Amino acid sequence: MPSWPALASQAFNGLALGSLLALVSSGLTIILGTLGVLNFAHGALFAVGAYAAFVMLQYTQSFLLAIAVGCGFMLVLGFLLERLIIRFFYGRPHEDQILVTYGIGIVLVECVRAVFGGNAQRVPTPSWGQGATQLGFLIYPTYRLQLIAIIATLLVGLYLVLYRTSMGLVVRAGIENPGMVGILGINLRRTFLLVFAIGVVAVGLAGMLYAPVVAVTPDMGANFMAQSFVVIVLGGLGSFPGAVVGGLIAGEIVSLTSAFNSSYSEVMLYALMALLLVLRPQGLFGSEGRV
Amino acid sequence: MSLLEVDRINTLYGDSHVLFDLSIRVEEGEVVALLGRNGAGKTTTLRSIMGVLAPRSGEIRLDGKPISGLAPSAIANMGVQLVPEERAIFGGLTVEENLRIAALTAPNAWSFERIYGVFPRLKERRKSLGRTLSGGEQQMLSIARALIRDARIILLDEPFEGLAPLIVRDLVNVAAGLAREGRTMIVVEQNVAAALSFATRVYGLNNGHVVFEGTSAELTANPDLARDFLGVGA
Amino acid sequence: MNRPRSGGLRSHIPELAILATLIAAPVMLPHLGFSIDLLTRVLNWGLIGLGFDILFGLAGLLSFGQAAFYGVGGFVTAYLLVSGTLSSVWLALAAGTISAGAFGLVVGWLAVRRIGIYFTMITLAFGQMAYFIENSPLSHYTGGENGIPGVPVPVLGFGEHAIRIGAGLPMYVLFAVIFFGGYVLARRIVRSPVGAILLAIKENTARVAMLGHNVPAYKLAAFVIAALYAGLAGGLLGSFQSYMPPDAFSLETSGQLVVQTIVGGANTLIGPLVGAAVWLWLRDNLQLIPGLTTLWKLVLGIAFIALVVGLRRGICGEIIHWLTERRTLSARRAAEAATEAIEAGAVKTASSRARDTALPLPSPATGNGDIALEACALARHYGGLKAVDGVSFKVRCGSIHAVIGPNGAGKSTLFKMLLDEVSPTSGHVLLFGSQVTGHGVSRTAQFGIAKSNQLNQLFPNLSVRKNLRIAALARRRGPLRIDLLRTADSLPEVEAQIDAIMALLDLAARADTPAHILAYGEKRRLEIGMAFATSPKVLLLDEPLAGMSPSERAATCALIRDIARTCTVVIVEHDLDAIFGLAERITVLYEGRLLADGTADEIRGNQRVQDAYLGGLHAHEPA
Repeated sequence: MPSWPALASQAFNGLALGSLLALVSSGLTIILGTLGVLNFAHGALFAVGAYAAFVMLQYTQSFLLAIAVGCGFMLVLGFLLERLIIRFFYGRPHEDQILVTYGIGIVLVECVRAVFGGNAQRVPTPSWGQGATQLGFLIYPTYRLQLIAIIATLLVGLYLVLYRTSMGLVVRAGIENPGMVGILGINLRRTFLLVFAIGVVAVGLAGMLYAPVVAVTPDMGANFMAQSFVVIVLGGLGSFPGAVVGGLIAGEIVSLTSAFNSSYSEVMLYALMALLLVLRPQGLFGSEGRV
Repeated sequence: MSLLEVDRINTLYGDSHVLFDLSIRVEEGEVVALLGRNGAGKTTTLRSIMGVLAPRSGEIRLDGKPISGLAPSAIANMGVQLVPEERAIFGGLTVEENLRIAALTAPNAWSFERIYGVFPRLKERRKSLGRTLSGGEQQMLSIARALIRDARIILLDEPFEGLAPLIVRDLVNVAAGLAREGRTMIVVEQNVAAALSFATRVYGLNNGHVVFEGTSAELTANPDLARDFLGVGA
Repeated sequence: MNRPRSGGLRSHIPELAILATLIAAPVMLPHLGFSIDLLTRVLNWGLIGLGFDILFGLAGLLSFGQAAFYGVGGFVTAYLLVSGTLSSVWLALAAGTISAGAFGLVVGWLAVRRIGIYFTMITLAFGQMAYFIENSPLSHYTGGENGIPGVPVPVLGFGEHAIRIGAGLPMYVLFAVIFFGGYVLARRIVRSPVGAILLAIKENTARVAMLGHNVPAYKLAAFVIAALYAGLAGGLLGSFQSYMPPDAFSLETSGQLVVQTIVGGANTLIGPLVGAAVWLWLRDNLQLIPGLTTLWKLVLGIAFIALVVGLRRGICGEIIHWLTERRTLSARRAAEAATEAIEAGAVKTASSRARDTALPLPSPATGNGDIALEACALARHYGGLKAVDGVSFKVRCGSIHAVIGPNGAGKSTLFKMLLDEVSPTSGHVLLFGSQVTGHGVSRTAQFGIAKSNQLNQLFPNLSVRKNLRIAALARRRGPLRIDLLRTADSLPEVEAQIDAIMALLDLAARADTPAHILAYGEKRRLEIGMAFATSPKVLLLDEPLAGMSPSERAATCALIRDIARTCTVVIVEHDLDAIFGLAERITVLYEGRLLADGTADEIRGNQRVQDAYLGGLHAHEPA
């Protein structure tokens, strides 16, 4: 039985990982819910985000500025991908959508590899995030605490966009019944473009924010993508609240399991998904979206 | 020039031919009922006008301008509004959000207060999610979404289907009120008596063809005229 | 009737071509930059690909988790050998393959319940799970990140005469022999009834289930077959490089397999092999060119996107398409011309044709009493809406029974409950006295209730004959039979039945025409014919006349009368004139309740029915 401080520390790790997964997964799930496309390039876009932070930091020397410019870059990338490729696949079978986004993922990862090489890069922790913070009985790295706070803010922002703006209204209605949205005079294609770009920015941001915590490599996104699949199956496909809650659950499962036996931490996550598929296939938050 | 002209359209559902050279026209301010047994092509006619199904041939004109082939969203923004048979309420959105999304692209959208004046029940339930509404409330909301857009032509597809008689009476009163105010409507309804109570003119459809054209008064006075396209057996 | 069966040397051209290529490859290809080891590696990928192509190319199930089975096969084989548990490489290979198949059974059991992106995500997640299991909890056995070194090579023969199959050409020969065996088997599977059903599942899953085949079980069979192929390939990999690497389990491996299959061409069996040749050749040769060392995969990725966007057939698919297109183009043009002629009304439909076809079917089954089908207080409520509210009626054996009613009367819901497509809220259905409710649509079809749909549910890319074959095989085979080695068209009585039904449907001239090319009226007849081809006891027809011209209606009514001579027919239809001409008894529904039940004349004279249809025009509402 691990000590309480060790458990608490792992719980915080779980929160950090969980909030990160929540951000990655909400990008994945709103794209899936609105456009009906499962984006297999999501992992690659996570890596692209991390590299964007790496490059911008070298030019700007300011973490915040790097992230701002990086977001702009991800937005443009999202627009381009949707306009040039994705939009031609809305009417095609899911298998084709998966294959083409998987192909996009390969190309993105290989572009990164071609430019930066395959070796791990380090992104320094921002100056305001150095050191550790005393939290009662436990000392915890400051940047990770900030990471949790920043992502929580971003998720609240995403919530406000989805639940308090006209675009969010159209997105939520479009997930339910895209045909009726059209009958009410709204051209969904423009919304699709925006949603895809927002999803790309969300996952890119996750990559940028996580870059100081891990080694940055071209393939770093693959495992996050697999985990975010588990998260959206957990939460219910296309459900934003499901992605957030599912992300936190997934993060805690991985971290708390590793407090007991680290070799089972990832295995537990997939075992949980298998269990859920048998007992409650529609996920925690009900509907299966458009699938 | 009529407000809406449907000119010899042929519409297929999948590869099943449903409408055969079907023509109808609707003048500004009148209410037209499309009657017929099921499978006659009434719903398909409304869906063709809305652009949900594109006619294979023929033309649909609004104010003399062709609209067939446009996307439903474009047709909606020219003032045509379908109230579909299945009501298509957004269940995860509240009543007010359902109204808000309908009003988004309408240039002369009504205020909520004006809508609630027509449907006071919706005001009481404005914070409720669409999926929690009763059938009658859903139908009110579906019609309200068309009204809030201030649509020039409202296409009502089976508005009274599956509703209790008291609610049907309320909805008929609303529809009759709209008709008196001069709102143009096309109504498809199995409950012929209810439809005729506020419609001025009638098209009878059978197997995708127009087989009868006349006024509501004619049909009410002489129900035998309807045997051809409504009745059972010859 | 004696139709030439597929067979003879001609049908084995693909096998011979593969054999020739496998023999020629080590002689010719090294000049093009393929070393012997590279060729062996290509064959290893091609072997996994054979199974994957049955799963993805044939059955349409896109798995991103094949690495799991490749890895299980590989590590079980390697562990058994290196730990000394088994000394025979062959036995260890068998054990590894079977382990992979068993794991495939478990994962597949979970995965095949879901479709589309769910299926893909589940397979991917289980692939990752297997990777992490290998990596940590089992690292004591698997070496974790280090893998298992020192895997021995296979030995042929015993004692002094034993031959070690060493690296280089001997290993290539071993892989080539196994690949060839795998290919021959895979091709038999594709041509078997199971293969035909899997292809039909890709075309229209719902219809396959409705015909009575156990769809999840067939999908699971495909999944296990794919796992077995992957497991065998994994086992061979360890021997080949005398080391079992952990990255066999990686997502990269699964993805590479998918890319290779698309590049080479899905549903061709050798597509994955060709794709692997392209992939590995690019990797080995572009790496030698300065400046391009890291770009080979980028080139491949761009080519892959281009293939998915544009040429969906892949390399082999395009070649096969080009070869067959030349052969079949004239036939297809002729079929399309025939369709246009029918659509234009130039050809008289066969309304006046004499019908003397003897159907190879028993006369209407008579059970206890003469009630074929009985609905007992069937009800279906959706929330507060009572779509059907306690409807009972009986259908007499051998009769044509119609269900009519105004819109919203609940006819289609009732029909779906008869077939158990929709489960009733209460009540049940009896077929010759035994209950059929609660078993699901496939079992109900096996009991002998078939349905033709309001909207055509055909297998659009299969020929008329193949459409009917999927239907005819259903009740004859039962819900599931894994007969992988016979050919789908090898049952003479089934073929005779198909011929008779095509004659009855007036589609004999269209036997080899893909269903999507048929004229609308022909599709409608095929739709009915497929339901009939299951040799049902009771045939349900949902709006068989929908969308037909008057002359087509007359022809279809005649067809229904013919069919009714061999089975009981229940029909829902809007065309009341047709109903009064066809039906011996009519059940009328109104607002979810039974309004009337009687002969055509009784119904015609029933005032309440008239009122219901006139929608209150007489001002007195029916109760």
